[in-house]
Amino acid sequence: MSTGTLTHDDDAAARPRWRGPIGFARARFGAWLQGRLPRTDTLLLTQGNVYILPTRAGLAFGITLVVLLLASINYQLNLGYVLTFLLAGSGAVTMYVTHATLRGLTLHLKPLVPVFAGDAAILNVVLTSPGSARFGVGLKVADADIATLSYVDVPAGGQAPAQISFVPRRRGVHALPALSTETRFPLGLFRTWAVWRPASELLVYPRPERPAAPLPQARPVPGGPTQMRSSDGGEVEGVRGYRRGDPLKLIAWKKAAKALETGGELVSRDTSASAHQELWLDWQACGTLATEDRLSRLAAWVLGADRVGSDYGLRLPGRTIEPDSGEAQRRRCLEALALWR
Amino acid sequence: MALTLSPFAPWPGWRYLPREARDTLFLLGVIGWTVLPHMLHLPVWCTLLTVVVLLWRARLALSNQALPGRWVLVAVLIVAAALTFWSFRTLLGKEPGVTLAVVLMALKTLELRARRDAFVIFFLGFFLVLTHFLYSQTLLVATAMLVAVWGLLTALVLAHMPVGQPSLRIASRLALRTALYGAPIMALLFVLFPRIGPLWGVPRDGISATGLSNSMTMGSVAEVAADDSVALRVRFDGPVPAPESLYFRGPVLSRFDGIEWRPATPGFDFARGQAWASSANLRVSGAPLGYEMTLEPLRLATVPLLEAAAGAPAIEGYRINGRDDLQWVADRPLLERVRFHAEAYPSFSYGPTQRTLRLADQLALPSGYNPRTLEWAAALRRDPRYANADARALAQALLRHIRTGGYSYTLAAGEYGRDAIDEFWLDRKAGFCEHFAAAFVVVMRALDVPARVVTGYQGADPLPVDGYYVVRQSSAHAWAEYWQPGIGWVRADPTAAVAPERISRTRRLAPPPGLVAGTLGTLNPELLAQFRAGWEAVNNRWNQWVLNYSRGQQLDLLKTLGVQSPSWEDLTLLLIGALSALALGGAAWAWWDRHRVDPWTRQMDRLREALRSLGIDAAVPDTPRALAARLRERYGTNAQGLAALLDALERQRYSRASTPRPDAGLTRRFVGLARRLRATAAV
Repeated sequence: MSTGTLTHDDDAAARPRWRGPIGFARARFGAWLQGRLPRTDTLLLTQGNVYILPTRAGLAFGITLVVLLLASINYQLNLGYVLTFLLAGSGAVTMYVTHATLRGLTLHLKPLVPVFAGDAAILNVVLTSPGSARFGVGLKVADADIATLSYVDVPAGGQAPAQISFVPRRRGVHALPALSTETRFPLGLFRTWAVWRPASELLVYPRPERPAAPLPQARPVPGGPTQMRSSDGGEVEGVRGYRRGDPLKLIAWKKAAKALETGGELVSRDTSASAHQELWLDWQACGTLATEDRLSRLAAWVLGADRVGSDYGLRLPGRTIEPDSGEAQRRRCLEALALWR
Repeated sequence: MALTLSPFAPWPGWRYLPREARDTLFLLGVIGWTVLPHMLHLPVWCTLLTVVVLLWRARLALSNQALPGRWVLVAVLIVAAALTFWSFRTLLGKEPGVTLAVVLMALKTLELRARRDAFVIFFLGFFLVLTHFLYSQTLLVATAMLVAVWGLLTALVLAHMPVGQPSLRIASRLALRTALYGAPIMALLFVLFPRIGPLWGVPRDGISATGLSNSMTMGSVAEVAADDSVALRVRFDGPVPAPESLYFRGPVLSRFDGIEWRPATPGFDFARGQAWASSANLRVSGAPLGYEMTLEPLRLATVPLLEAAAGAPAIEGYRINGRDDLQWVADRPLLERVRFHAEAYPSFSYGPTQRTLRLADQLALPSGYNPRTLEWAAALRRDPRYANADARALAQALLRHIRTGGYSYTLAAGEYGRDAIDEFWLDRKAGFCEHFAAAFVVVMRALDVPARVVTGYQGADPLPVDGYYVVRQSSAHAWAEYWQPGIGWVRADPTAAVAPERISRTRRLAPPPGLVAGTLGTLNPELLAQFRAGWEAVNNRWNQWVLNYSRGQQLDLLKTLGVQSPSWEDLTLLLIGALSALALGGAAWAWWDRHRVDPWTRQMDRLREALRSLGIDAAVPDTPRALAARLRERYGTNAQGLAALLDALERQRYSRASTPRPDAGLTRRFVGLARRLRATAAV
């Protein structure tokens, strides 16, 4: 399997570079064709949806054949005829072979994982070949540059995973861009391709603010339990960011490792802070920022609060999420931010 | 160039090379193989340059270094073009063209930056393969070039397998498969593509000219005699005549300027009609001897027919005319291998019976050449024994003189000077057929007897191969003819007088054997002979069926297919028809394939139908396992058989040991069980 290391920018795709009226007409025609395709998460490539055309190399091959044929005629070389016709026959046969490389394949899109706007969304596609092995099958976003093709070989009667990545720019729920799969195997004389519009929709969280603004102050819960816990040795109540001078035994290593992995800082056990404080991430606390920037800041705060591991709640105009912690809370908050309007 | 890889670094092993390096080395190997046979006829500098460039490129690939800049390539290319011009005095034509193509191919490898940019290499490679056929189309060359094409296709396939490190074996197998799939189309096109003549010009330099030519100077036949390649093959319809009677008549040379023998200025060619018959005055007796001849491209207009042909053979694409000197001449040089049927009358006489004006041409001798021979002839004339001798008696006397005068037959006759006949006839007395024939004719003319030199082939390999008697270039021969009043032209072979075995035992000059053949020959001469005969047989088949395949055979094929009077238009129509049928078949298959339902889907449809009749809600996305669970829930143990079948189906379709096609028996059993269950449930 192979991973597409190059990502595709969907803004660039949204603005195709037209060259003259013909380019415009082609782009419109392409868009119309794509619009006709049904959306599905599992696509069986058949005679009906796989297209084939000769490549530029294929045309050059044709010219080579004409030159060889002329030489054979003029020098009356029977072996020249044999060579020319062998190449012509092989070339013609690759039209079938190239088409058969895609035909019969099943493309299946695995469940999508939400991403942040501006980050690469990875689409995991599984290719299944019921029959023979398929070589050099490339996948990419349909409008993307050919260099972004990520290639995969599918074993006979087996499956192969492939990954396509693209970068969503805006938050919200997005339909996936049309994907395309193509191959030029075996001789590169023909290019056969299919366009696929997956049905799944991608949830895109707001782009988190970078660098993140400091988290707002947590406030004690009015009316909550008030007794203090012993500051050393007792149960652990919470964690806070590492402060210079914290003893090593105070560092929450497991959490710290996780936090470091996601780009955070060391985390110390907070034996003095209490679980009775809660952190509210408030729309109103973002000052005078524009809507999207507020959402970005809130997203960054959600990530920050989640990293520190404290309980946090989210207040948006018209929606409030009660304080909680953990993966579910994080997802709930980010989803709310992604879908807020 | 600085090499980071030490020249003494151990070879990492083919399998452990990085992909890019391995592919490049493989392609370089294929290019080397493709170019290799050209080394025989390319200038030395070109060979050296190619080897150096290929090795340099291999070095760069192994040490993973940057390729040289474009200006280096341009500089080398300019130097190569200059050297080509220096070698050939021109940049046009076959040899300079091939030289430049080889240099271009080598230099292009230095521009080979990516796997996918290699198409120029491949196309140039295919073209280079074709250029080999300009020099030779033997089975050996064909095999070597087949390997080269395979290699090129493998490299091309490799360039389109971008994932991981596919093994060379897989790529070569895929390339072979592609070529094998393409082979039927190749056969169809080869058989039916109309063979038309050269489109422009006549390629003068297609195959290097060996064998007979339209002139004879001392030593020219000797070169031919060392050439063991095949000139023609003959298969006789009836009994095989004795080899010493096989005279294949080529150009007749009657003009002698002291150095060179040339044909008489052709008066005009007679059509195959009365004009020729009266002018040649051919008188034949006995039954004709029919034979089939396969003639290699001699690049000569004269068709060396067995003496004496009474009519022109039909050679497809050529018009053959007879001349009064019994030569049969095509309207253009024979540049391709032709096969035809002809008839010969072994016993014949021809030519004017009365002295005519044209005969005076056959008496001319250049003045100032060979004075001592003329003197010798004059002395013979004065000899009272020959005072009233006719041409025949004089010829007998000369042949007797050759037999008894201390002459010897040798192919290593050495250089002769200006008065070559003097030197040969009176001093050195050693030579081969052309010396004997030329001297005989000169003396006869000095004796006032019209005479001329006839060139051609004489004899054949003693043993037939596949029914064909092989006549080689080394059987090229020169003999003489003199004119006898009342009879006409009479053949005299003075070489036979001194070396009769030269005529009867026709394989005279064995080429120096190669190392293997030499060893084999000493160890087991019989095996060598057998091996040689077998090889010749294969080669002959090759010539007959591949190289000799021409328009004649194409039209014959049409005739057997039932076309009354086939023409090349019919051939074109047939080809277009066959290709259209192929394309239509493909389209029909595509249409059928489009409406084909996956057999698994079809099976599931039938099972679902049976389940619905049992009142089970069976939707498309339900797996067999889910359906089995539903069955058990509803019918309990009664449905055990049905559920077990569904579980089996689940295993067949989705487990590790899945089968490629659905089991039709399972479907049948399932439908039967479902019907029984419905019946019992209804009761």
